[in-house]
Amino acid sequence: MGFSFVLAVFGSTIAAIIAMVFLLYYFSMDYRRNLIGESASSLSREQSNLLLSRMRREISFSAFFMDDSKSIGIRYLITTVILFFIGGLAGVGMRISLWYPFPTFLTPIQYNILLTAHGTIMLYGFAVGSILALGYYLLPSANMIERDNLGIVNSIMYWFFLIGSLFIIFSRSTASWYFYYPLVDQLSIAGGGSYSFFTLIGVSLIQVAATVSSIIFLKMIFLDRNKSIPVSKISLFSWSIVSSAVLIITSAPVSTIANGYLIYDLINPVFFQGSSVLTYAILFWFWGHPLVYVAILPAFGLIYEMLPKYAGVPLYSYRAGVFSLLLLMVFSALVWGHHLFNSGLGTIWDLMFSTTSFIVVIPSAMSVFNWIATLWTARGIRLTVPMLFVLNGIIDFIIGGVVGVYSADVGLNAFIHGTYAITSHFHWIFIGMTAGMAFAAIYVLFPTLTGGRTYNVPLAKVHFYLNSVGTILMSGFWLVGGFEGMPRRVAGYFGIFQTYQDVAAIGGVILGIGFLIFLINFAYSAYQAPVMSNDNSLEGEVQPI
Amino acid sequence: MPLKNKLLVEVIWIVAVVAILSWAAVSNAAYLTSDQNYISNPVSSDPVGTVINVTGYQWAWAFQYPNGTITTDKLVLKANTTYTLVVNSKDVIHDFYIPAFGVQSYAVPGHPNQVTIEPMKAGTYIFECVEYCGELHYEMRGTVVVT
Ligand code: HEM
Ligand SMILES: [Cu+2]
Ligand SMILES: [Cu+2]
Repeated sequence: MGFSFVLAVFGSTIAAIIAMVFLLYYFSMDYRRNLIGESASSLSREQSNLLLSRMRREISFSAFFMDDSKSIGIRYLITTVILFFIGGLAGVGMRISLWYPFPTFLTPIQYNILLTAHGTIMLYGFAVGSILALGYYLLPSANMIERDNLGIVNSIMYWFFLIGSLFIIFSRSTASWYFYYPLVDQLSIAGGGSYSFFTLIGVSLIQVAATVSSIIFLKMIFLDRNKSIPVSKISLFSWSIVSSAVLIITSAPVSTIANGYLIYDLINPVFFQGSSVLTYAILFWFWGHPLVYVAILPAFGLIYEMLPKYAGVPLYSYRAGVFSLLLLMVFSALVWGHHLFNSGLGTIWDLMFSTTSFIVVIPSAMSVFNWIATLWTARGIRLTVPMLFVLNGIIDFIIGGVVGVYSADVGLNAFIHGTYAITSHFHWIFIGMTAGMAFAAIYVLFPTLTGGRTYNVPLAKVHFYLNSVGTILMSGFWLVGGFEGMPRRVAGYFGIFQTYQDVAAIGGVILGIGFLIFLINFAYSAYQAPVMSNDNSLEGEVQPI
Repeated sequence: MPLKNKLLVEVIWIVAVVAILSWAAVSNAAYLTSDQNYISNPVSSDPVGTVINVTGYQWAWAFQYPNGTITTDKLVLKANTTYTLVVNSKDVIHDFYIPAFGVQSYAVPGHPNQVTIEPMKAGTYIFECVEYCGELHYEMRGTVVVT
């Protein structure tokens, strides 16, 4: 005990010194000079940031040493693609292990570790991370920003995000992504896991990064926007970021504080033990539901931007789009209780939350009808790879959304809560929309991100079809199994469900192969000779310098 | 086909969606107020029918019948009888779920819930725990035997 304590003190002191030296080096380096030449040294930090933000920035390691908005976006982009890969590995591992009704190559504990890692990495690392990536990368050009002066804050928040993700990956928590109170307090690997506090700290760091970034996004859109863009012309992507940002700012701190109490409870249980056990669950979902809409709104924004370009007509109704995004912002903050039907909140609460959940469908449907009307009026739809992802995303959202409406009915919820029908509901939407639109955006931005290269179109189409077919097999069979009562989050199951699980496993593997093809395509194409200008249709306005 | 009258088209789709969802919301509310017993609620003093105490613990379910007998992993019921399950937990949050009856209730430590069931047909059904509760969560399952 004495020895290991001394070792810990020494170890952390040395680690702190190394970190300080690194930070000193980090903040003293001036990588701007390499990019914008000697003139960088005569410019103030803000001015050089502004120049960099206007540049068409490509993926490069130097992004980690610069703090203009686009570089920050690239940092997040690189990180989230890696996190998606790690989370995906966990997912495919779980699927394969479920081939037989009994645990196969994963013990229940290993399964539970992967379950927790998959959920937290995908939601906090991938979903939140990809929104921050796209926000930082696209907002400066969408709003022709004239100031870029909080770079250091953005940079520090990125490191928070990265450290948070690493904590999540290495904590081996088994508390699932909800961290419900009495379970997380069982500090053994059979309960919530011994190091859940690591995940909780990681999640909190990411929440802080997301909150601060959201404030910066609002600043970019409302304060820094070029005077030539009136409020009535703000792009729909920016509006979608406004909705997400407001949702994050109003609900993430609640969860951060609850996590703080929870971390304290792991050491000395005083907060959640005394009150109703459901208190933590309520605080969690107060943020948990807004989080899922945060994950989807920027994808809505991207569809609003991309769909008209490939349909050859203007968006059917800009006004209805803004209205829908802002209504979603308001209503999706009011539905969190639909995750706690059957828990004994009482009839009045059930009634209220199921009604608000029905209401939130209205603005979602407004967006969908807007896209359908745009397609309806379209002349000459171009089925490029991004457009395929957009169309597929819309269809997946409709399917997943309808299942969502079903589960919002209290009577039906008792049928399907806790089953794979719910898993199906959100995987339709997450894979089709959140991940699908991230892929679409990366394909659109590809020439810019790689400095004038173009991706291999047949390979990209293979990626698309594998992604689409994999989702249909996986989420589709989960849905049927779920309606027959197949429970989720299990390391083994009743033999009657094996067909559904096996087809879902095949679907999961197909999804994984699709993603590998995406990575291979990216790596392969990025090393070809540049063949085109580094323009892209998402940041049309940017002036190259 | 051009959709000329934008405002009209927008109004039509909003009204259509609102109509469908209002119908869903009203039937949901009607169900909630008339058949309250069939969904999980905090325990009340006058349960309907025979009371069975259902206790979840890591990682099994125990059923205590009015005559005092206790079974684990197996719930024995009689067809065409009304039962109220009083669901409680000894340790962490669980969720007792019988897919064939479409009934479930959280087992929250220190916060017992109740739900009413009325098995109609004799047979053997499955029950499961559907709230993740640690290592052997997937083994918290068993059969409902209706005679
Ligand atoms: C169309 C509007 C939507 C409605 C009415 C809706 C409704 C619901 C309901 C009632 C549940 C709780 C199910 C249960 O556990 O019993 C749920 C769960 C969930 N929804 Fe939605 N939803 C909608 C849209 C979305 C969107 C856009 C996303 C984003 C991807 C999403 C992601 C999720 C997730 C992740 C869960 C499950 C969380 C968990 O238990 O792990 N939903 N939804
Ligand atoms: Cu929700
Ligand atoms: Cu359980």
